Amino acid sequence: MKRNVFGFVMAVALAMPSSAFQNVKMPVDLDKLSERASESVDVTLDSSMLQLASGFLSKDDPEEAQVKKLVSKLRGVYVRSFEFDKEGQYSPGDVEAIRSQLKGPAWSRIVGVKSTRGENSEVYLRKDGDQVGALVVIDAEPKELTVVHIDGPINPEELSELGGHMGIPKMRTHRSDKDQSDPHREKKEQ
Amino acid sequence: MRDFEEELRRALARREPPQDFALRVLAMAGSQSKLTALAQLRLWFCRVPMWQFAPALAALLVMSGGGIYKQHERVAHGQQAKQKLLTAMRIAGSKLHHAQDRVFAIERREMMQ
Repeated sequence: MKRNVFGFVMAVALAMPSSAFQNVKMPVDLDKLSERASESVDVTLDSSMLQLASGFLSKDDPEEAQVKKLVSKLRGVYVRSFEFDKEGQYSPGDVEAIRSQLKGPAWSRIVGVKSTRGENSEVYLRKDGDQVGALVVIDAEPKELTVVHIDGPINPEELSELGGHMGIPKMRTHRSDKDQSDPHREKKEQ
Repeated sequence: MRDFEEELRRALARREPPQDFALRVLAMAGSQSKLTALAQLRLWFCRVPMWQFAPALAALLVMSGGGIYKQHERVAHGQQAKQKLLTAMRIAGSKLHHAQDRVFAIERREMMQ
């Protein structure tokens, strides 16, 4: 009987898509930072909300049409952004709670920039087969903390097409390719 | 006497009706029947007490009001989700660019050295 239960659990676990184990969860402590923040942005859009939002994006507007195309395959978009009046309002542990979820083999850090001024930028990618399955950006500054998680297949070409619109600067893809070739690229700023 | 008979014969002589006579008769008959149907409907309305329509009217109002409210709510939700999505994309894009810029700045500095 015990063997049957174990077999069933194993079968279910194997049948689940690999992405199910690799979902990034926004820690509860992170949401509590909004109480101390002078400005905060909290965006949680799952696939159903993305579909709803996509329905209201205009096909005639070139910018919105591009976002519509990009979003059509996404499973979720999650953003937490906080701005504080003074330094030290969030702890390194708040960032580590996110970072620890990105240490699995599926994730690779393509950019990691640290500065002595306490400004850290990190970009993580998750590969699903040949394509990028998710993207996480962590931007930690003394008075600002931003975590972006885009879940779903993202075509870097589509992302670069989005660049130059909506205040999003144009991406330089050839640089990104170079960055991806070295998954543990880390730079230090003075 | 003969003149009188002659006049009478002429007056009672068979005359052909105008060509559109039949059409005019049919048109008149049609409008008469329409009027009758309208009058019948009016009569029926007058006979049925108005309060009997109240529940049906109320239901119709509630249904249409509910439909309009649901549609309004759906549009409001959708617009809100769209704004959130655009905000998220702006932040994601700007932070990616920020990280990229910092990498380029370091690379430039290394090249200068």
